[in-house]
Amino acid sequence: MLTVSVKWQKKVFEGIEIDVTLPPYVFKAQLYDLTGVPPERQKIMVKGGLLKDDADWSAIGVKDGQKLMMMGTADEIVKAPEKAIVFAEDLPEEEQATNLGYSAGLVNLGNTCYMNSTVQCLKSVPELKSALSNYSLAGRSNDVDQTSHMLTVATRELFGDLDRSVNAVSPTQFWMTLRKKFPQFSQLQNGMHMQQDAEECWTQLLYTLSQSLKAPASSEDSDAVKALFGVNLRSRVHCQESGEESSETESVYSLKCHISHEVNHLHEGLKHGLKGELEKTSPALGRTAVYLKESLIDSLPRYLTVQFVRFFWKRETNQKAKILRKVDYPLELDIFDLCSEDLRKKLEAPRQKLRDEEGKKLGLQPKSSSKDIDVKMTDAEAPSSNEGGESSTAGQQEGASSSSEKGTHMTGIYDLVTVLTHKGRSADSGHYVAWVKQESGKWIQYDDSHPSIQREEDITKLSGGGDWHMAYIIMYKARFVSM
Amino acid sequence: MAPGPDPNSVGDGAKRDEATTKVPSKDPKKKDDKKEEDLSEEDLQLKQNLELYVERVQDPNPELQKAALESMRQEIRASTSSMTSVPKPLKFLRPHYGTLKEFHKNMAESDLKKLLADILSVLALTMSAEGERESLGYRLTGSEGDIGSWGHEYVRNLAGEIAEEYTVRQGEESSIEDLMDLVQQIVAFHMKHNAETEAVDLLMDVEDLDLLLEHVDRTNFRRTCNYLTSAAKYLPGPDDMLVLDIAYMIYIKFEEYPNALQIALFLDNMQYVKQVFTSCTDLLRKKQFCYMISRHGITFELDPEMVENDVDREMLQDIVNNTKLSEGYLTLARDIEVMEAKTPEDIYKAHLLDGRASSGPSADSARQNLAATFVNAFVNAGFGQDKLMTVPSDSTSGSAGNWLFKNKEHGKTSAAASLGMILLWDVDAGLTHLDKYFHTNDNPIIAGALLGVGIVNCGIKNDCDPALALLGEYIDKEDSSVRIGAIMGLGIAYAGSQNDQIKSSLSPILNDAKAPLDVIAFAALSLGMIYVGSCNEEVAQSIIFALMDRSEAELGEALTRFLPLGLGLLYLGKQESVEATAEVSKTFNEKIRKYCDMTLLSCAYAGTGNVLKVQDLLAQCGEHLEKGDNHQGPAVLGLAMVAMSEELGLDMAIRSLERVLQYGEQNVRRAVPLALGLLCISNPKVTVMDTLSRLSHDTDSEVAMSAIISLGLIGAGTNNARIAGMLRNLSSYYYKDASLLFCVRIAQGLVHMGKGLLTLSPFHSERLLLSPTALAGIVTLLHACLDMKSIILGKYHFVLYFLVLAMQPRMMLTVDENLKPISVPVRVGQAVDVVGQAGRPKTITGFQTHSTPVLLAAGERAELATDKYIPLSPILEGFIILKENPDYREE
Repeated sequence: MLTVSVKWQKKVFEGIEIDVTLPPYVFKAQLYDLTGVPPERQKIMVKGGLLKDDADWSAIGVKDGQKLMMMGTADEIVKAPEKAIVFAEDLPEEEQATNLGYSAGLVNLGNTCYMNSTVQCLKSVPELKSALSNYSLAGRSNDVDQTSHMLTVATRELFGDLDRSVNAVSPTQFWMTLRKKFPQFSQLQNGMHMQQDAEECWTQLLYTLSQSLKAPASSEDSDAVKALFGVNLRSRVHCQESGEESSETESVYSLKCHISHEVNHLHEGLKHGLKGELEKTSPALGRTAVYLKESLIDSLPRYLTVQFVRFFWKRETNQKAKILRKVDYPLELDIFDLCSEDLRKKLEAPRQKLRDEEGKKLGLQPKSSSKDIDVKMTDAEAPSSNEGGESSTAGQQEGASSSSEKGTHMTGIYDLVTVLTHKGRSADSGHYVAWVKQESGKWIQYDDSHPSIQREEDITKLSGGGDWHMAYIIMYKARFVSM
Repeated sequence: MAPGPDPNSVGDGAKRDEATTKVPSKDPKKKDDKKEEDLSEEDLQLKQNLELYVERVQDPNPELQKAALESMRQEIRASTSSMTSVPKPLKFLRPHYGTLKEFHKNMAESDLKKLLADILSVLALTMSAEGERESLGYRLTGSEGDIGSWGHEYVRNLAGEIAEEYTVRQGEESSIEDLMDLVQQIVAFHMKHNAETEAVDLLMDVEDLDLLLEHVDRTNFRRTCNYLTSAAKYLPGPDDMLVLDIAYMIYIKFEEYPNALQIALFLDNMQYVKQVFTSCTDLLRKKQFCYMISRHGITFELDPEMVENDVDREMLQDIVNNTKLSEGYLTLARDIEVMEAKTPEDIYKAHLLDGRASSGPSADSARQNLAATFVNAFVNAGFGQDKLMTVPSDSTSGSAGNWLFKNKEHGKTSAAASLGMILLWDVDAGLTHLDKYFHTNDNPIIAGALLGVGIVNCGIKNDCDPALALLGEYIDKEDSSVRIGAIMGLGIAYAGSQNDQIKSSLSPILNDAKAPLDVIAFAALSLGMIYVGSCNEEVAQSIIFALMDRSEAELGEALTRFLPLGLGLLYLGKQESVEATAEVSKTFNEKIRKYCDMTLLSCAYAGTGNVLKVQDLLAQCGEHLEKGDNHQGPAVLGLAMVAMSEELGLDMAIRSLERVLQYGEQNVRRAVPLALGLLCISNPKVTVMDTLSRLSHDTDSEVAMSAIISLGLIGAGTNNARIAGMLRNLSSYYYKDASLLFCVRIAQGLVHMGKGLLTLSPFHSERLLLSPTALAGIVTLLHACLDMKSIILGKYHFVLYFLVLAMQPRMMLTVDENLKPISVPVRVGQAVDVVGQAGRPKTITGFQTHSTPVLLAAGERAELATDKYIPLSPILEGFIILKENPDYREE
């Protein structure tokens, strides 16, 4: 008989007797009683190794009073999860792309950054993408010419390629068709294709798409592009001399932000852009007179495009010169006071609702919510309220105005989604870059083939006033509220 | 007795004052004699007097001669104290030096001749031509009076001439007895007058340091030893050993055992260590010695001769075996309130990178999860709890198991082993946690569990040898990943132990023709670690044979580098002992020959600061080679290994590396960041940080990777905010490059290692001692980093765990006589170099007062801020036993 002590975890069991005539398995059974660890999972350290079940005690040389150490638990043995975990590294290339959270860049084909940045900006509009995917190859209606059709198809293909690829896509096909449709983009200078104005590209491309995506019924309502981007303006034309007044409506794809020396902020520029003077023959006076034209927004688009009028034709240098003035723009734009009376009335209820919701998120009672706080906090809320808007975007082809019966309403509040910037001193030179907000809330800078993640506060720094990239065309997305 | 500077100068001044008051106007004289225009009345008087003496000395009348000599001596003695300018009497006697010399030559032997010789000896101080050593010559023929009476400057000059004379006589092999008499006198004089450094210098010059033992006393032995130990760093071998021997003997003589032990450890002389134990009778002090030995990380067995009582010996052995390390570390952690486990996300702090990479990809990335595993392991090292691995696994979510399986294949090895890191030093709990992984049939997991057992036991010795018992079973298993896990685990657990049993089980693997290369590589490495610095012939032979057996193709493999490294580790810091093996290595296949040569050289001279070796290695780095030669990487690392021991050499090495970076080839550039990381390990110097930050954006991705890892190394365990910021920015800069991002994550984990309570620095005890196992661990990782792509980014990422060998709490924990922690106020501040300074200079500057336990950063030193206790070791690092001060009175 030997007496040993066994240390197990932090406990020491003193005075355990070993019957050296019996195999160690018996000893293990003794320990099983004490520790609850089954013998087969016990590991007992003796000099020079583990105690084997069938070992001979005399050979091991355990001395009386020796301290042994036991390792072992009755814990459950680790099992691999039933569902094998899929690792990003194992995924095929396409899925890795979606994992990145943003799509690929576009290769610069020689001064095509104006086109690349335009494409990247427009691609960020999911509704446009879905409209394009519905566009059938064969379904060319008669009123769309061949080149427009080809351009539309090329756009669709390009958008698809961008979504699928990890590496930069070369937009060769698209560029060819674009040049075919709009020969002005084929201008050469020193044997190279010239830099072009991105705004022109943007406008032309949108126009083409709006033509070709018109439903065969060719009714005004079914114009998908117009539904997404179109802004209806109601203008009051007023002649001070004669007191004549008339009103007219028009539809535009973008608002202009005029930059004069008193414009410091987008809002001021927009207001400025909605007012204008024009000369026309006054029937009352029988001569040309100066008319004041004041426009107000009559219906809101899903995507509000604003163009900064940064370029003007400078006669002396014979080129488009650039206004470098810094014009701030917000991440969240409220255009309520640019709306017409009718529209304002329509917007009031949804806006109240939005305020209440945001108040609730802040933990405030609906009544006590003040507008101040709302404005401050909307920055943080933006992505979440965006999601609310997106969930209902599917199938919203119709109804530019918020009066749709779907239960979601426009609020007149817009969130910044894309910025197309220009760097350089004239429209036909320099460099264009697109800055696009992803669904995840991340901002990506698409500098041709190099997408890179940017911080949100850097986006508002693109407001000009230096030689850094400055916003040229920016696009806002409407914020909806469900009633 | 000695002409103290003050009384004399006062006397001088007084005299001058008298003179000027007597004769207010000096103008007439000045006009009279243009030559002596500048002389004041008093000086002129002196000059005339001296001229008179000189004349009289040559007088035939011995009485007059004597009087003149006495007066001359009087004048000289009264003024020799001034050090800033030539004393006036000497100046005025200058023109007469020749005359007097001539006269002395022709003088008959007499007391007067001796007297004149004395004066000439002093005059020679300023007159004698360089190398003539006339001062010494006259001194030897002089009257042998009290040497100090001529002033300090004279003695100093004499010492210099003795040194010269000594070298000359050594060359001629003539007697030096007369010199040694003088040396005796000078040393005695210096030691009495706070000039220990000069006494030591002189004795070193005449190679008779033993003399020092007679002259040191309680008041000056500390300064003397301090100077000796610091000087040892700059002496060529074997003088440095000699100097330290003397220091050791002095410490023993004055019963300053902790310092004696320190030197014994530095000399790696176990006989001395034993002597410290046998000389000391106080059990409490012996406990303190045990703490010091345990920090050094060597295996040391106490025998009955050292500690008689069995119970006491067992307790002391427990301290040496580091069994209480975990407890002490956790005490520190609780005191600083950092017990709360941290997740990798807490370390990445992605929210500070607003927008960037904040929302991760939807699918799990194996690479990123592996990085998170390491970060989790490093950050929660030793705390016994974390949020990934030790969370109790409930059957529904089973998080512990879950995280393990979020790692892919070989990643699971590192994940399972990370448990060992989290439970570092806590053997009982560690084994309990790891046990469940032994029962799966998933080989990578078993391998990880084996490695984990090794990590848990790192630096801890246990009577039952659980690591050996468990791992021994798996060494010869079929699956090579399991074998590697077991072999590496043994290497980590038994580093420095020189365990024969492991040798006999690992050596056969090296020469097993069927064993795969990676198993052989890790076996060689583990043997190198276990026998680190032992110069063991047998192990060396086995590794050499293994190297010779490798085929051409195998020699090109990345892992082959571990074979020469294992060989090098055997000779770590052993200098010349490597030479025989280095000769053998010259016969290797040329593919590995130079690599092996560089590795052996750099390991053998690691931590010696040997300038010649630094130059050798620099020359290697400067060469521009053909493609395929890869030995420059280890050469660059070697540069850092050799130079890292003392501050001056370290700074020089940093500057040299900057040059290498500019002019070196690409493979040299890749190693430079790693070398910088080694030089400043856990010591984030701003200049190095900036260099590495610049390199981390290098166009060559391997340079960038090394720089990033090195950023982690220099900041390891410091929580340095600046490095943390740099790494955060790098993580968004490299968010698309999985490999670089992996490196950034590892570096982030290192910076926050042990939540800032750990250090990787292999140096301790005020940077004097170098722990060989710690250095071995770091060097191994750095060698692995030389080929980042195939080792750390490949499937051998677990080599990162070799760092565990260097991980130590950077704490100072005070315990009472029963080894229970007590809190006392201490001042912690920047250490000041007080070598060679007179008096009792402050040893720290810019200090703050804390109460223990406290953290000590690189270059910091602590001192007790209370007289209530007396520390048992003057080096306040790690565990310090405090004894109550019997003389303490409450105020």
